[in-house]
Amino acid sequence: MAYKNMMNLVYLYLMTIGIKVIRCERLREQMYSSIEGGAACFRRLNGTHQAGCSSSLNGEVGVVQMIYNISDAQWLVHNSSAGPYMAVVSTTLYYDIIEILLRYPDNIAGILLYDNATMSPNFFTQESQCPNEYSSDPRLGQCVKPGGIVWNEKGTGLLRRDIPYPIFFLPKARIGDITKIEECYNRYNLDKDNQRGRPLCSLQLNSFMYAAVNSVVCLRRSASSAFLSSNKVCDPLGDYNVYYSLFPRAKETGASKKTVTLVTARIDSASLFDGIAPGAASSVVGLVSNIATAATLAKMIPVTDAKLYDQNVLWTLFNGEAFDYIGSQRIAYDLSRGAWPPVSPLSPSDIRLHIELGQLGGSLQLFKDSASWPIYAYAPYSSQNATAPQILEFMGEMSSYSTLNNITVSPEFTTDIPPSSLHSFRQILRNVTESGSLLEILLADHKGTFTNKFYESALDDYENIGYVYHNISIDSEGIFIPTADLLANGTMKETEAQVKIANLATTLAHTLYQQMSGKPYTGSVKASAHLVDEMLYCFLRSQACRLLLAADYASNSDELPADRPLPLYVGVAAWPSPPAVYAGHLIALLTGNHLHVNRTDCDKNADTGFSYYWLRGWNHSGICIETTMNFSQAVSPAFIKPDYDLTSGEFSSWTESVWQTIWARVFVRASGAGARLAAVTGALATAVAAILTFWLQRHSALVFIDAPSSVSSDAAGIIRTVNC
Amino acid sequence: MTLAEFFSCSLLAFGPPFAMFALTIANDPVRIIIMIAAAFGWLVSFLMSSLIWFAVSPLRSYLAFGMVFAIIMQEACRYGMYLLLRKTEAGLKEISENHEICSNKLEMAYVSGLGFGIMSGAFALINVLADSVGPGSVGLHGGTEYFFVTSAAMTLCMILLNTFWSVIFFNGLDNKNYAKIVWVIGSHFFVSGLSLLNKKELYVVTILPSYIILIITIVIAFKCAGGSSKGLIQSFTGRP
Repeated sequence: MAYKNMMNLVYLYLMTIGIKVIRCERLREQMYSSIEGGAACFRRLNGTHQAGCSSSLNGEVGVVQMIYNISDAQWLVHNSSAGPYMAVVSTTLYYDIIEILLRYPDNIAGILLYDNATMSPNFFTQESQCPNEYSSDPRLGQCVKPGGIVWNEKGTGLLRRDIPYPIFFLPKARIGDITKIEECYNRYNLDKDNQRGRPLCSLQLNSFMYAAVNSVVCLRRSASSAFLSSNKVCDPLGDYNVYYSLFPRAKETGASKKTVTLVTARIDSASLFDGIAPGAASSVVGLVSNIATAATLAKMIPVTDAKLYDQNVLWTLFNGEAFDYIGSQRIAYDLSRGAWPPVSPLSPSDIRLHIELGQLGGSLQLFKDSASWPIYAYAPYSSQNATAPQILEFMGEMSSYSTLNNITVSPEFTTDIPPSSLHSFRQILRNVTESGSLLEILLADHKGTFTNKFYESALDDYENIGYVYHNISIDSEGIFIPTADLLANGTMKETEAQVKIANLATTLAHTLYQQMSGKPYTGSVKASAHLVDEMLYCFLRSQACRLLLAADYASNSDELPADRPLPLYVGVAAWPSPPAVYAGHLIALLTGNHLHVNRTDCDKNADTGFSYYWLRGWNHSGICIETTMNFSQAVSPAFIKPDYDLTSGEFSSWTESVWQTIWARVFVRASGAGARLAAVTGALATAVAAILTFWLQRHSALVFIDAPSSVSSDAAGIIRTVNC
Repeated sequence: MTLAEFFSCSLLAFGPPFAMFALTIANDPVRIIIMIAAAFGWLVSFLMSSLIWFAVSPLRSYLAFGMVFAIIMQEACRYGMYLLLRKTEAGLKEISENHEICSNKLEMAYVSGLGFGIMSGAFALINVLADSVGPGSVGLHGGTEYFFVTSAAMTLCMILLNTFWSVIFFNGLDNKNYAKIVWVIGSHFFVSGLSLLNKKELYVVTILPSYIILIITIVIAFKCAGGSSKGLIQSFTGRP
């Protein structure tokens, strides 16, 4: 490497003497080292404010300052002399110093946050202390109320704040870049008292955001510029919700209409940084529990038995919940105007019970050594006496099934309901939720303050729930090994997350069965920890997993998706993101009827109650799935309601800024000594040359006395004759 | 800080040639034409040596190979310029409004040398200058921030050397004094060869001998042009 660098220098020098075997990018390579794999904080806007970060158009430049402790940060904001600075901070120190750096932004050009593999923090969350505070039902506590519960205790709220400089995040895998920066820092910047006028190791972060001010302004700018040029500056957030009913609902008429139990969970998570939103405990465990329960119940109650039941279960996965409940607000809004689901819409009174699988998984690490997993069933009513009997009945049944499955479900009667889609239902469908005709239960694994200390952050990954993949193969029929067998042969232990989630799914499925049929479940169908293992792998470790491959369209190419976890950020509405599609296909594959027909026949099917998907299937030969699964738009009502005032705060009004490039690079900033030297010598040399030339020209007759004679006059004569 | 670097390095490399141009060439259109023609001549040599470099692909990574052919091509084009100027000198003098032009036979040599040098200097430095606008400087992988100054100083040296080499070269050909031509080509090889030492980052070792060569070359060129030290001293003392 050193030899190569030297060769580069040789090239450069040859260039300076007029030898031209040179390629111009070589000097750039000498000067700059780009930092790849960094994720930048970007800008989002709501109806009234902008949140997130932006750099200037050409990027912010600052002197590197490694922050190893709080006093480094204090020195940086109060005593440093060669500013502005780029603070390079590890995730362990982030919580302690971020407020200092935000309070005194004058000397700060940006922050580079890195995740240190050897020292992981105990908490790390950029969500506010009361997530979705402003779209929560004010009657349901939250920390709005004095003395209310602070849900996300360690939340710094950066996700909702306007940050005056760019912040970049380097994941664990890119720690090599930090070593590079640290080496450069140690070489140039260590003498902190004498940094002025010296070459200093510096960083440039570029994450210029096109949108500014708020959603109203940026949407207006996007619209008006469509007339002048096609430059969009922001897009509304949004994606798709997924829903699936146990029995087809399309053909139901007034009399035969079954009441439904709504079982919901959220798909999306968030983080401050682009492309990183693992959301293990924030959303994935709830999502996986929901799908596993749906798959289990579908096995317990085949679709053909629809006539035996007068109830139905509607499974719904909300998207965009991190940003003021986009998905659930839209569904509640559509319910209120009779527009959801699009085929055979429900009225709010058709829903007898809404069970939300809220934030689950945060306490899995706390109970990693025990087989138990305490779940709390929140009912948004002030006391047990004020609670509807159906809820008490449900809770009673659920806790009796839970003891059979090694988990505990404790009822919580409180109006302090944790952040969840219940808030949007209670806000938008106020008359039915208040009158008690739409009953609600929230299942979460925290009582009061979140047990998940990485809520909606870049570090809410598989390690946060202590997940270890078992990599058990799935047979060609898609049969998963029952949990009991896995425990019996020692493949899995009772303390593992997979087993606990499977137990929760079993408990809920059995409870729902009893609710529907009115009698206890006596069969042996249970959720499989093997299925949960595979699903967690798909959502937390790699998109190139068995389940998602089997659930993909067979027409898609055999190209494997990227071998990394899927970011669960909701993204912009104009651009569908994969998590909802993956979740929907998984539900279809795991719950739908597998028809034994070929592809053309599969496409010909046109039963209005179902949709038909030609998926790849377990042995990748193609399979026809008949399912009630469908997608509905998860775009906030704010963007579809005519004449809606975005500043009113009634619905989520988040938009995301457009940006062009995001990059970071490290280099050494000149002290200016070279420039001064060049200026002085340049001025001197020019002056000397000018004076000397002037002098010699003026006195040329005197100085050049022996000048060689000029051209012969003969030739001049010839030309003169020619010319004249 | 970095814009300052850009402008001061430009000043260092191109300030003296510009002063010379402004005082001696700019006032005469014929001289400007000759200078541009010489600059074009350098570009031709550039093209030919890059063709050779490109054609002999196995040796592309060897700097010395490219360097040798580049020098040979430059000197060949300098000879071409000599032939061209000697053939057109009379005509140029005729069409010029300033009939005092070419009172010194080596005047055209100086003009064409400056054109030759400025073009080579422009090509040598322009990429470096483009990178000097920053925000970074050399130093991340070793090297010093004086890289840009030394580059500019070397460029200035090469511009001036080319100017005076042309004077010596033309004079040597006029007088059939081949020692002068040997000096030009030899010192060209020597200075270029010195630059190969830059990989050791011994900038002083490169720049100092190069400027010594420059001074020697200037003195020789002064003598060739018929300059006398006595006359020079007289011009200072103001003796009539």
